[in-house]
Amino acid sequence: MANDSSALDQWLTWAFSPAISAIIVTLLISLSLPVLIHWYLYKKAVSTEVPSFVLVGPSGGGKTSLLTLFANGSTAETYTSQEPQAALCQLPSSTRSKEDKYRSEHDTSSRSQPKFHLVDNPGHGKLRHHATTSIMSRTSVRGLIFVVDSAGISSAAGLTEAAEYLHDILLWLQKRHTQGKTSKGPTSIPVLVAANKQDVFTSLPAGLVKTKLEEEIGRVRESKSKGFLDSGVGMEDDAGKDEEGDWLGEYASKGFRFAQMEEHGVDIQVLGGNVRGEGEEGGKVEEWWGWIGENL
Amino acid sequence: MLDGFEIITTSGIVLWRRHFTRLPASLINSLINDIIEERQKPAAAAPSAYTKDKHTLRYTTASDVGLIFVAVYQSLLHLSWVDNLLWAVKGLFIKRYGDQLKNPYATSLNTSTFDQAFDEVVRKLDTGSTQRRPSEPDSDNQVEFTPPSSSASATDDDPPPPPIPQFKKTQETTVDDTTSTDVTPVATPDTSRPSTPLNASHLLTGKGGPRQSRRARKAGNTQFATSAPASSGDEGPAKVTKKPGAKAKRRWDTDGSAIDADDDVVLDYSAADNGTGTQNGGFEEVNATEMGSRTGKGQFVLKDLDDEVDAILAEAKQKQQAAADTSGGDDAGLLGTATSKLTGLFRNVVGGKKLSKADLQQPMQQVRTLLLEKNIALEAADRLCAAVETDLLDQKTASFTSIDKTIRESMTKALTRILTPTSSTDLLREIANTTGGSKPRPYVISIVGVNGVGKSTNLSKIAYFLLQNKYRVLVVAADTFRSGAVEQLRVHVRNLTELSQRENVGSIELFEKGYGKDAAVVARDAVSYATNSAKGSGMLFDVVLIDTAGRRHNDARLMSSLTKFGQLANPDKIFMVGEALVGTDSVAQARNFAKEFVDTKGHLRNGGVGMDGFIISKCDTVGDMVGTLVSMVHATGIPVVFLGVGQHYGDLRGLNVDWAVRKLMK
Repeated sequence: MANDSSALDQWLTWAFSPAISAIIVTLLISLSLPVLIHWYLYKKAVSTEVPSFVLVGPSGGGKTSLLTLFANGSTAETYTSQEPQAALCQLPSSTRSKEDKYRSEHDTSSRSQPKFHLVDNPGHGKLRHHATTSIMSRTSVRGLIFVVDSAGISSAAGLTEAAEYLHDILLWLQKRHTQGKTSKGPTSIPVLVAANKQDVFTSLPAGLVKTKLEEEIGRVRESKSKGFLDSGVGMEDDAGKDEEGDWLGEYASKGFRFAQMEEHGVDIQVLGGNVRGEGEEGGKVEEWWGWIGENL
Repeated sequence: MLDGFEIITTSGIVLWRRHFTRLPASLINSLINDIIEERQKPAAAAPSAYTKDKHTLRYTTASDVGLIFVAVYQSLLHLSWVDNLLWAVKGLFIKRYGDQLKNPYATSLNTSTFDQAFDEVVRKLDTGSTQRRPSEPDSDNQVEFTPPSSSASATDDDPPPPPIPQFKKTQETTVDDTTSTDVTPVATPDTSRPSTPLNASHLLTGKGGPRQSRRARKAGNTQFATSAPASSGDEGPAKVTKKPGAKAKRRWDTDGSAIDADDDVVLDYSAADNGTGTQNGGFEEVNATEMGSRTGKGQFVLKDLDDEVDAILAEAKQKQQAAADTSGGDDAGLLGTATSKLTGLFRNVVGGKKLSKADLQQPMQQVRTLLLEKNIALEAADRLCAAVETDLLDQKTASFTSIDKTIRESMTKALTRILTPTSSTDLLREIANTTGGSKPRPYVISIVGVNGVGKSTNLSKIAYFLLQNKYRVLVVAADTFRSGAVEQLRVHVRNLTELSQRENVGSIELFEKGYGKDAAVVARDAVSYATNSAKGSGMLFDVVLIDTAGRRHNDARLMSSLTKFGQLANPDKIFMVGEALVGTDSVAQARNFAKEFVDTKGHLRNGGVGMDGFIISKCDTVGDMVGTLVSMVHATGIPVVFLGVGQHYGDLRGLNVDWAVRKLMK
């Protein structure tokens, strides 16, 4: 014990003495520390910067199946989700990403297909708050994939559910855009409406899914504007909320079109496909891959 | 027999499954839906059961790795061994794949090797306590007899003659583990049938019994206690030759630390600290001497699995017992507690702390008090806290997040979940669909509630809202009981008529039959008057609003007339008005009203919940204490649709869940 303390004493004396070695060591530490910290922080920031796509949509649309197909190349059996799930996916070599746009077809130099995170969210009515949390918690969300069952949409209830959810999501995106604090505004998030289950006999083609959803969203928007105000409005002093803010798309326009969302920085595409193919094989999802490639 | 077994992640991906018959996917989907909507408990501690058309689903969850284990069988059968199966498979699966499951981006596992393990576990645990069809037992037992090499080697060791006396003995002492009894009936097939009830009762007594003492005893006198806790009890002489070899094999095969750690865990529950040291020493010794010689035989692999399953089951039992014993104080030394406290403090600031029950206890108490202060009923607060606890137990806190903050976040999620309605509550769209569809008819809304909560006021607020949307509204005075009720409504209707004429919107009328009439009949007459089917000139009114007499929810005589009312008037929507002021009684109010609305077949309306929504009145008078919302939704699962926030006709609001949660967590 006494030995220890005397060693410590010596060391301290040396550290505070005006010896040249002590000065050099101090200098080295004080100069290298900021560099090390900088290196450490930036290394961390860069490593987490994987672009991500977020899957949303009503329950039973095929989100989790799509996730497993994109992540593993084959679909797994799925049940109703209770928790979000992220997966690391890689763009297949048949799809070209945006940064490869000007690359020659015959360029043989090895190119690495970009990787991205795909985030699945539960579609159950009580768990939809996960979707917005997923988007907010990630720094580089490149797109939103709204998976919808194009066979279920032919029934009135299914259509209403899908349209209401899509309305809420789009309204949230619009508010995020219009209520941005900085002049630059948040990065715009494009939306892909993936009309899933095109292989089912009763399914509607992508074009029809689009018009049906547009019509229904128009109706939802109408009745929302006539409906009750939310609690909290007028009870507290947040007078900032005006009617226009809760109106999706072009204000006071007659019908809703997805094109109206472009002014709010939301580009919407509707593409068909099916996750489940024959047997174990994945279905027809090339169009969706293409969309992801464009937005990576 | 078992119909199926599935291992599902909470994100909905099936990791492993085995179906013995065709099972509809809707079975498990409905189970998951009920878990989400909190009609079923997430069974983290012990397996719980769920019954859905002729099938029983027993399930258990592992929240730290996000898995659900579900076993499906016919409800007619009483498979007492399924709980053990769930325990065993849960333990095995997490042991084998736990590391891979910890990866947040894992979406699939290569579980092909798990098939064999599962078969072995089933063969081992299937006690024959299934009530099979008469033809089956023979063949089944043959299967278990013919390949002696493949069945657990414990079976071989077991001397066939004395099973019955031994069995008796173990029952008297009630200290035996399940496995030994599982083995004996297999060895003597003729006794398997009569032993069925015995077996079941034995399992039951075994759970609560003096297992602690036995474990302590075993830890004291044998080194092999942890590895084969089950079989060591009643097959003493026979096992001497083979046991050490099997032991060594097991250590070698699964290789090292995982098993080691697990053994420690088992011991932690049973005995004092010094026990673990000697135990481990014993293992090392056996390991070193016997390891090399027995490698290539499949037999030992099976034995290994056998022991593993035994260990898991024993551990599960210990855990259950520990939970029942309400965890006595841990007697680590003074120094130990000091360091653990210090690291605990540090972890609390930096994050990354694994949450135990003790960690959660005090902050949970604070949050619970907060909820109670917000006027949430005790029952609902307890349920929310339990949900948060199961959500957080064995989880790690995020970096730079304290336990308090983690709990608050989790509670916010739980509140959001309970308040968010499952389906949309857009009244206008439904009215438009009903009145404008192919078969138009008036949309009927009726309002019920306790005396003086504001039924008539809220009814006129809804009427005002509908008038604004240019509907023709018929207000029905079905309160034929309290003097002045009809006159009160007449004043409201007169005011609203005035307003609607001034603004040139919809029209409103009062339907009344005076006092003393049967309310149900008045309501029915009003609906047929609005429909106007006799004259054939179309509907006279789009919406019928029925006001009812207020009644005490604990007065059975008054409440019973609601059933008839619900059946005769058959409203599209029944809203119950509750005061925000009411406090704890809200739970009983909501329950008693909801249970009155049954249809002629005895089923509750609206998919088994009775009513369609709550209107919480007088929200402006309580400030932040809007706990009544939560209490009422908790009691019935019926969503809150409107909030009354003032004295004027326009002071009715839809529920904004974020707003309510913010107020509650403030």
